[in-house]
Amino acid sequence: MTGAKPAISVGQYSVAGRKDRNDDSYGVAVPDGVALQYKGIAMAIADGMSSSDRAKMASETCVKTFLDDYFSTHETWTVKKSAALVLKSVNSWLSAQTNSAKFDGSDLVTTFSGAILKSGMLHVFHVGDTRISLVRNGSIEPLTSDHRVDVGREKNFLTRAMGVKTDVEIDYRAETVEAGDLIVFTTDGIHEFLSSAELAAHLKSDAGLDDIAKAVSDHAYANGSHDNLTCQIVRIDHPGRQDSDAHYAALRALPFPPELEPGMVFEGYRVVRELHTSKRTQVYLAVDADTTAMAVIKTPSVNFEDDPTYLEMFTREEWIGRMISSPHVLNVLQPKNTRRFQYYVTEYFEGQTLRQWMQQHPLASLEAVRPIIEQIAVGLRAFHRKDVIHQDLKPENVMIDSKGLVKIIDFGSSRAASQAEDGSDSQSQGLVGTIDYTAPEYHLGHAGTNRSDIYALGVIGYEMLVGKLPYGKGFAGKRDVARLSYVSARDHRDDLPIWVDDALAKAVAKDPDARTEALSALIEDLKRPSASFEYARPTPLIEKNPLKFWQVLAIALLIGNVLQLMLSLR
Amino acid sequence: MNLFARQQKIGVLHLTWVAFFVSFIVWFNHAPLMAAIRQTFGLTDQQVSALLILNVALTIPARIVVGMLVDKVGPRVMYSVLLAVSGVLCLAFAFSTSFTMLAITRFLLGFVGAGFVVGIRMVAEWFPAKETGVAQGVYAGFGNFGSAAAAVTLPTLAMYFGGDDGWRYATAVTGIIAIAYAVIYYFAVADTPKGSTYFSPKKTGAMEVTSRGDFFFYVLMQAPLYLALAVLAWKLGPSNLQMLSPEATLLAYAGLMGLYLHTVYDTWRINKDVLHTPVAAIHKYKFRQVAALDIAYFVTFGSELAVVSILPLFFKDTFGLSLAVAGFVGASFGMTTFFARPAGGWLSDKYGRRNVLLICLLGTAAGYFAMSFMTSEIGLVFAVVSTLICSLFVNAGNGAVYSMLPMIKRRLTGQIAGMVGAYGNVGGVLFLTAYSFLSAQSFFFLASIGALLAFVIAFFAIEEPRGQIAEIMPDGSIALIDVT
Repeated sequence: MTGAKPAISVGQYSVAGRKDRNDDSYGVAVPDGVALQYKGIAMAIADGMSSSDRAKMASETCVKTFLDDYFSTHETWTVKKSAALVLKSVNSWLSAQTNSAKFDGSDLVTTFSGAILKSGMLHVFHVGDTRISLVRNGSIEPLTSDHRVDVGREKNFLTRAMGVKTDVEIDYRAETVEAGDLIVFTTDGIHEFLSSAELAAHLKSDAGLDDIAKAVSDHAYANGSHDNLTCQIVRIDHPGRQDSDAHYAALRALPFPPELEPGMVFEGYRVVRELHTSKRTQVYLAVDADTTAMAVIKTPSVNFEDDPTYLEMFTREEWIGRMISSPHVLNVLQPKNTRRFQYYVTEYFEGQTLRQWMQQHPLASLEAVRPIIEQIAVGLRAFHRKDVIHQDLKPENVMIDSKGLVKIIDFGSSRAASQAEDGSDSQSQGLVGTIDYTAPEYHLGHAGTNRSDIYALGVIGYEMLVGKLPYGKGFAGKRDVARLSYVSARDHRDDLPIWVDDALAKAVAKDPDARTEALSALIEDLKRPSASFEYARPTPLIEKNPLKFWQVLAIALLIGNVLQLMLSLR
Repeated sequence: MNLFARQQKIGVLHLTWVAFFVSFIVWFNHAPLMAAIRQTFGLTDQQVSALLILNVALTIPARIVVGMLVDKVGPRVMYSVLLAVSGVLCLAFAFSTSFTMLAITRFLLGFVGAGFVVGIRMVAEWFPAKETGVAQGVYAGFGNFGSAAAAVTLPTLAMYFGGDDGWRYATAVTGIIAIAYAVIYYFAVADTPKGSTYFSPKKTGAMEVTSRGDFFFYVLMQAPLYLALAVLAWKLGPSNLQMLSPEATLLAYAGLMGLYLHTVYDTWRINKDVLHTPVAAIHKYKFRQVAALDIAYFVTFGSELAVVSILPLFFKDTFGLSLAVAGFVGASFGMTTFFARPAGGWLSDKYGRRNVLLICLLGTAAGYFAMSFMTSEIGLVFAVVSTLICSLFVNAGNGAVYSMLPMIKRRLTGQIAGMVGAYGNVGGVLFLTAYSFLSAQSFFFLASIGALLAFVIAFFAIEEPRGQIAEIMPDGSIALIDVT
């Protein structure tokens, strides 16, 4: 479901040179297991910028934190988001130290150039005048540009660095890389004293990468470098991009389970009965054969045995479910045994779907609807916190039990931001949700955002209150988005306060920018009149229903004309 | 699966097979009334055969069009429109004033034969994998029964209305039923279970093949779809029935040639990579399996279409029966479909798909061989018995073919089913054309030879699909079996 594991070889050399201290720091971190797949490989270089011995501390803190903390960021986050977050927190720590040290020369300022290799892409983050260069087939392309101004001979200032101010602007770029590419990290002690041609000549050598790094450094030293010299060379052995065959093979490595019957023992569970079957999946109630705990087993339908898109959605559902933990999201369990089939296990939640609830409670009261919407919002927030968009929220995907506990049960259409960037997101094109609850931006070809889920929740709230859809029907395409307009909930049910209608109208606004911006805001809007709504103002017909306004006007004019004609003929 | 369960999907299944049933009544309402129609218009034997062939010709291209439309608008709207349109055409046929009008309306009514595709899609949306086989068997079997129902009821209905125009009112009644049912169906079903999305499949023209050899094989196997229509044009053309002018006939040939070339281009466009890059083993399937099923269905369903068209008239003329009795006896062929077709699928699941299909083809060959002895001398009892037995194998064969379809290449099932179905219709056209040149006895003998050939082809080309790789152990636990 994500890229293959990248692989690299590393050569490093660092020396104080003509200075008495080496303030440079550098390093590469290759994590184990799945993190390598989801997060990639981190590499960095930094050059501490001050006279005191705290310069080393600055560069080292920066490199170490980057190499460690990047892997602690959430696995669904994008590389950019994860790295930016880590670097921002390092910067605020450094700058806090700097400020408290009152500019006595011991401030913690450092350059920083780091890169993440994931799914065939090299993501570069850069501040200051250390450099990262990409060397392909002997030609060198700089991936960073120095943040400094030269003032006279041998005198220059950094215009940007880590630890100077509380906020720092970090350059970001992403490059596609191939196997055999070299990524060269250097501090200014090297690149100030070595021409590109000289560097390129060294990199052509067949020697070990460590030896090349040393040779580069020695050459710069011989050319008169008076600064610390650090050279780190990373050769990409496998860029981590997955070819579709391998991707597909990995997905279908496990066979589909057969149809399960009550009484069968399947992977450590005894099947009790079939709960639900459809074209796409079978869902069974089962008990853990050892603990007799109830569980639900979901198996893929053989209809889709050789459909990679389906398989991806199926595996993604489990993956996302395992990541998200919320009392209002169905809990996906760890399989009991080593898995031999495609399936997954969830907790058993006994209740009815919100659709059934709505059928039993038509035109529910605001008091009954509010706690349900709130619980769904809490569940959705758990998704959004992990950078996952649900994309298919509908009453059939929400369950409610006899005590009123609400859970989101289905998330096969969800999309994690980190998947979108590694190219494994085979369904990023095309609609995934159910038309009635699909936000208009999907029809206009835009990617969904958190607000697309807010739209769906708004539609559900509207439907629970008035039993109809806010635009009369779902948007079936681009044309509908332009043509349909919001029907006030009060047209169906005049006992609803105007401000509730306003809250719903805002939650289902066609334009995502005009829509309720956060789940919490929607909850607040449904609780009490929001200051931002002019709820006392009665809407004129021309705004409420422009079509009807003009129709009525036209008919009135026609009648007027006819009357006039009749009168004048008399 | 319990057909009496109060489940929504079961309701949809019943409503949908009735839609297919009604479409089949309309499609074959002319067969049992043909003697009366012949009398009203003073038709020659060749004109009668022409009407019978025309009835199944348009179905071949219509299947493709309807298949594309159903992807777009969904089965509910498609079936309703199809029934309503064919109801109107049926009324036009009923009140035809000339042979030309009969021919044109009958030709257009071939459209209704494409209804099969729509319902198959509907059933697939509503049933889980475990039940689709049986559900589609019920749909097809009960629906096909419409031809028998028409044969049994319409002559009696025509007699009830009485007079020379009795057949017109009987036919018109079926048209009105179709229109009424179109409305009922529209309001009674939904395209998907509540909350599911109707996914329009990705746009695909030609089917994917997985080797260079299969590419050429596939291109070759598409030719008969156009050849069948060319045969029809020839039959209607100057050298035979003279219904089409020489220019129009040439134009038809040219048009069909153009369509075929377009199909070849489309096939190339989808499959051009396979001509130089080998496909990974895991994606491979053998096209000859598809071709063998094409031929099997050509024989089983194709001959069935022909036989239900001609049998009522044949019985009337051969044994000198009344219209109503001939209709009743002639229905004996279509009668068995409602249990034989699902049974064919069920037996296939249980006893191996290849074996059941082979037995059905062999039985079909034997059945038609027996039917080739039907003459006025040998007696009505032999005729009815041999017809019934033959039809059992034919209908079970249809079921067996359809049960094998999903096993070839799951992802391509829809397209494979489309091609196999089209071959069934091609069979209908070619068998009816053959009938127009042959005595009934020679015709049945030819059908018998055809079934024997299909048996031989299937014997060599079809492999038993690989079974489950998981097995249920006696204690109820599930074990994984290594397959090589």
